[in-house]
Amino acid sequence: MAKTGTVNAPGIRMDATKAVRAGEKSVPTLLLAPAMIIMTIVGLYPLLHSLYISLTNYNPTFGTSYSVIGFANYARAFGDGQFWYSVGLTLAFTAISVALSLTLAVLLALLFNQYRFGFVVLRTFLLIPMLITPIAVGITWRTMMMPDLGILNYLLSLIGVGALSWASSPASALASVILVDVWQWTPFMFIIIFAGLRSLPKSPFEAAAIDGAGHIATFMNVTLPMLKPVIVIATLLRIVDAFRTYDTVYIITRGGPDFATDLLSVYLQRVNFRIFDLGYGSALSWIALVIVLVVVLVFVNLTGFLKLVADKENR
Amino acid sequence: MANSRTFKNGASALAAYALAITAALFFAFPIFWMVSSSFKSEVDISAYPPIWSFTPTLANYAQLFTELNAWQALLNSALIVGLSTCIAMAAGTLAAYALARFDVKGKEFLAFEILSIRMLPPIVSVIPMFIIARQLGIFDTPWLLIAAYALSGLPFVVWVMRVFIQDIPQSIEEAAMIDGCSRFETFWRVTLPLLLPGLAATMVIVFMFAWNEFLLASMLTSQEAKTLPVIAANAIKPKAIAWGLASAAGVMMSLPVVILVLLMQRYLVRGLTLGAVKG
Repeated sequence: MAKTGTVNAPGIRMDATKAVRAGEKSVPTLLLAPAMIIMTIVGLYPLLHSLYISLTNYNPTFGTSYSVIGFANYARAFGDGQFWYSVGLTLAFTAISVALSLTLAVLLALLFNQYRFGFVVLRTFLLIPMLITPIAVGITWRTMMMPDLGILNYLLSLIGVGALSWASSPASALASVILVDVWQWTPFMFIIIFAGLRSLPKSPFEAAAIDGAGHIATFMNVTLPMLKPVIVIATLLRIVDAFRTYDTVYIITRGGPDFATDLLSVYLQRVNFRIFDLGYGSALSWIALVIVLVVVLVFVNLTGFLKLVADKENR
Repeated sequence: MANSRTFKNGASALAAYALAITAALFFAFPIFWMVSSSFKSEVDISAYPPIWSFTPTLANYAQLFTELNAWQALLNSALIVGLSTCIAMAAGTLAAYALARFDVKGKEFLAFEILSIRMLPPIVSVIPMFIIARQLGIFDTPWLLIAAYALSGLPFVVWVMRVFIQDIPQSIEEAAMIDGCSRFETFWRVTLPLLLPGLAATMVIVFMFAWNEFLLASMLTSQEAKTLPVIAANAIKPKAIAWGLASAAGVMMSLPVVILVLLMQRYLVRGLTLGAVKG
């Protein structure tokens, strides 16, 4: 954030606020201490412990003794076809789901950016899905998607479309859980992009109108470039969260049928908490963590995210 | 000319309303269906074709408390989420104040560490937490989840509150300090009252994430410390699924968050984007 209002008495600013006051040297440390203690004990320590466990063959179902086996778990992971299948599936799920909800969110934001009677009320409906507990979302969609008794197939039959198998056949299961993800999280992207759209300056649009630019040209050349920082932030947050999707898939399919929706988090849950292969599971988790970081770094580089943030800070 | 223009405006208004209502229906219908299912009797819920008008019953909600032990889960959720949110808010706001108002060495590294916790998939930290908790004997107690949720809320609070604090002109604090207020008095009497809306919005979002959390809650509890999402998931058994019961659990879980967030809507975007986008 820019420091404004430095016209008069910058000396007083320094004296009063930059820890030069007598006895304030330790204040920032004291203020940071509680947060640092929590992050170290609850965050950093377990993480390092997990790194250690990943180098062992620890499995509590075989008793408490275990031995350090070096990088054997990591070597095993590279040959684990099911793991890499889950990684690929998760990347596909993330890419498709985020792309769909981004497109939908931009279109909805443009639609609701018109000032029309009743739009404020309709807009509120677009907010609610992201607030519903994901477990409840899973339960509800699973009911609705039942092939024989579900309301969705009934509604389809009303308009003459035959029954779909939704999440219960391998062919359509992934598409079904993507639909649920898009339904729940498009609202998240929508309200962010909508807020960004509302806060754009008016004059570039007036200039475009004077130049006779059409709707599509205005959108491509004026709206989209100005909206880019907001879109990039919303997309980054969504990618990180889509990658860890667990709750709804756990409720709707548990990874099935026939592993069609066996996302990384579901697969890891199985390795860790069904067969308690915790050493191997820790190694897989660390590989997953590295993959998330790579995805984020690629995205950050492609979009110039850091530059966007830096521009904001130096504004 | 005037006529064709009126017609064009009318047509585009009609199209806009048609699209807007379709979108609202798409996003609202599943919620309507969940709420209506929760009031259906066992017979009504399995009727096909699905029925729209029925005699509402509270049987599912009653069953929640008699069969799923919802009181205990509700108390657990309230205790765990309430306490962890307070811890995250208190520790996070203090740290945010330090980052916003002082020159702290290694500020960038701190900011990076805070953000990387936001990136961390919970599936990575759940295994060590599980192991450590069993060694310490705190597995399946509320304390474990309180610590876990305080940690996951913390980076978010630091990041967002830092932006909210930076929004308050430093000159207001300087004026108070020149008038003889101590740093603490200034924070308590000047900064904090101005921060209240931001604090409330941040708190609602931290509350929402903890309240809705399932993965850690399901793996770090077994009986005593179960939260609402865990007992709701328990209503789904592979063979016999109690749909009415599960829907009632879904409504009961979601209601507090929906109410709180709709009240705080104004500041929601700011919070959700870690302060990057003004709502």
